[in-house]
Amino acid sequence: MKFAIALFSAAHAPSSRRALLFAQAALAGGHEIVRLFFYQDGVYNASGSVVTPQDEQDLPKQWRAFVSEHQLDGVVCIAAALRRGVLNEEEAGRYQRDAVAVGVPWELSGLGQLHDAVQDADRLICFGGA
Amino acid sequence: MSTLHVLSHSPFGDDRLTSCLRVIGTNDALLLTGDAVYALQPGTAPFNALNARPLNLFVLAEDAQARALAIPDAARAIDYPAFVELSIHYDKVNSWL
Repeated sequence: MKFAIALFSAAHAPSSRRALLFAQAALAGGHEIVRLFFYQDGVYNASGSVVTPQDEQDLPKQWRAFVSEHQLDGVVCIAAALRRGVLNEEEAGRYQRDAVAVGVPWELSGLGQLHDAVQDADRLICFGGA
Repeated sequence: MSTLHVLSHSPFGDDRLTSCLRVIGTNDALLLTGDAVYALQPGTAPFNALNARPLNLFVLAEDAQARALAIPDAARAIDYPAFVELSIHYDKVNSWL
């Protein structure tokens, strides 16, 4: 079964943790994740600038490890990322900003990538809100 | 066409549960996650609304446990692998973001 997973909430929201646990369970169950799409506040999950308190789960770090380990397609919505200052090197250069927050394994791209993933997947699962 | 409805907001803060129960079909199911599991608090209006009709009701076990809420007989507690299987069993998953 092919899943597309969209995440709308920031790294410190409980729904981001649920999304990660769902994604891990999907792969463990022998399923495929065609794309992870980080939209709206979900782009913060791809930020390398987030500092998580030591006694809390470091979601950005865990997402990074998960996406890298399984060589998943982790796409961050470019418009949502730009307005939140979550830039990769290319965008930081384009807009003359100092801070680069996103690198490997993430890719900044458009909302069309979510649409495309939904066409390819059997199920779209969205996580966000509380 | 069947739908798995996924709620994560507390039923005491907004109308998502009420709206969901209005549109949910007989072949559909409802999964309570996060603060939505507070609907399992006995004696409350959301709890009564859940029990007012036959419902395929599922609860993410660890979210209920984290809030010290008992799983009623009418609901089934599930873990993440079961969540994945539920999402496959139903044709669509509608998350009430």
